[in-house]
Amino acid sequence: MRKVFLVVERDVRLFFQYKAMVIMRAIWFVSQIAFFGLIASRMVVIADYFRYYVGGLATMTLYSAAVFIGFDIYEEAEHGVFEYLLSLPVTRRELVLGRSIGGGLRAFIYVGALICISLYVIGVANPLNFILALFSLFLFAFGVSGMSITLAVAIKSSDRFDILMGVLDALMVRLSTAMYPLNIVKEANPFYGWIANFNPLTYASDLFRWGAGVEAVLTFENPLLPLLGIVLFFAFFTFVGIVLYDKRIEGGGWQ
Amino acid sequence: MPPIIRMENLTKKFGNFIAVDHLNLEVEEGEILGLLGPNGAGKTTTILMIATVIRPTEGTAYVGGYDVRKNPDKVRELLGVAFQEPKMLWVSTPWDIVNWHAKVCGLPTEERKRRVKEIMEALDMWNFRHRSVHALSGGMRKRVEIAKVLIQRPKIAIVDEPTSQIDIVGKHKIWRMLRELCNQGTTIILATNELYEADVLSDRVAIMHRGKLLVCDTPKKLKDSIVGGDVVEIQFETDPSPKMVEALNQFKEVVKIMKTKSSTLRLYLNKVEEIVPKIMGMLMKEGASVSSIHMSEPSLDDVFAHYTGLTLEEAQKEGG
Repeated sequence: MRKVFLVVERDVRLFFQYKAMVIMRAIWFVSQIAFFGLIASRMVVIADYFRYYVGGLATMTLYSAAVFIGFDIYEEAEHGVFEYLLSLPVTRRELVLGRSIGGGLRAFIYVGALICISLYVIGVANPLNFILALFSLFLFAFGVSGMSITLAVAIKSSDRFDILMGVLDALMVRLSTAMYPLNIVKEANPFYGWIANFNPLTYASDLFRWGAGVEAVLTFENPLLPLLGIVLFFAFFTFVGIVLYDKRIEGGGWQ
Repeated sequence: MPPIIRMENLTKKFGNFIAVDHLNLEVEEGEILGLLGPNGAGKTTTILMIATVIRPTEGTAYVGGYDVRKNPDKVRELLGVAFQEPKMLWVSTPWDIVNWHAKVCGLPTEERKRRVKEIMEALDMWNFRHRSVHALSGGMRKRVEIAKVLIQRPKIAIVDEPTSQIDIVGKHKIWRMLRELCNQGTTIILATNELYEADVLSDRVAIMHRGKLLVCDTPKKLKDSIVGGDVVEIQFETDPSPKMVEALNQFKEVVKIMKTKSSTLRLYLNKVEEIVPKIMGMLMKEGASVSSIHMSEPSLDDVFAHYTGLTLEEAQKEGG
């Protein structure tokens, strides 16, 4: 496990060395709350939409920060760092597990500060609920990070990965409850609603809102359902992802 | 003692291109083996296969008794690799890079701190340790790459063109440090296209060209293997007599004699260091007046040319 932690440490450190990116994203986040959230909530008839939106924004930001690990992999491939990592006395499983955890953890640490801003805006009704919600966000971040690594290794082209992640981001965010409640999505198109029902971002957003006490328009009455969805998402992309990654990269299959 | 690395028909193909072609080579424990060849000879591909970064298409290699195909994790525990191109992200700092490398390689905290400082100081990097990589010169980045292996002190170190982009003072420093590393028990594979580097540092040199191993031996034996490869130019005060030329021809090591100027003979021979004293003795005995004598050994470039028909420079151009 020591080597897994070292891989995690490396990824966390590396993320915060991209200072400009970290600052810009934070500015984007605050702008979304201060401008878009505040102004858009005046147009929307949903009760308490501002707090609803801030909760969704935190999970959207967590998603986009956790996805960043896949771009790191391409950056590393371009600079030959991937070859270096593959030559180290670290097993492939330790490497991918460390990267998956590292990708998720750094996103969580980063978004942690932004979550604090969200909490200031939203407030917390039930601390115990919120701890459970945080735990689920933690798993969600690992799952997204594992998904990003799996896709990065499977696609092997930074351009295609870039485009795919853009499309995926659009679909994940738009077809989820991050920005609007499920009943509104269903009204627009039942098929969209069906997809949003199985979207891990829906689960993460709803659990965060449930934890923070924004219960006006929750998708699921029982919070265990989205929690189960997130656990499955995390398990699939962390553990199945490890196997795929292992097969892909061992011996240079990634080239 | 069995070889620490044994390559058996090691082959790598990229599509139809054969980068490494049925390589059979052994590396003895504690030696520095130079892999010499022009760009595109297959040196780096060979290294990547040994380091388990890429998988052989055919054949295999045994590193410390472990098969690179079957036990890559065990193989990597024995290795430290300094790559040809420094492998680092530009936002990182030299300190972060070498310190993390030392941690991953399992160095205990105190020893790690000591070695990191010691090697960074020795390589004149200490003052630049917290600068981001993009602010460093090519030579400095290369030092960061080699520092990783020097700090790690692995059982087997693979260094790919360790002194390219580094100034001559730095080159000598790194050569000395690699030699010290070897003296401390590390086996080193040195991939290079620099003749002098291969010559001064390697215990044995394996010459590769177009993915194939041409020959492998000590630099001296390789040079001696070229018949008539040594050259001795003797300038006489007067024209040497035919009798004198005939006497020189009697030495079995002398392959050919050419008269280059009226009073100068150029002798192509073997084992120059053994035969020249004998020649001088004979000339003095015959009363010949020698105004100057100039000796030259064949270089590894001559060895390369002997086996390929190309100089290393020509092969470099051919390889792109």
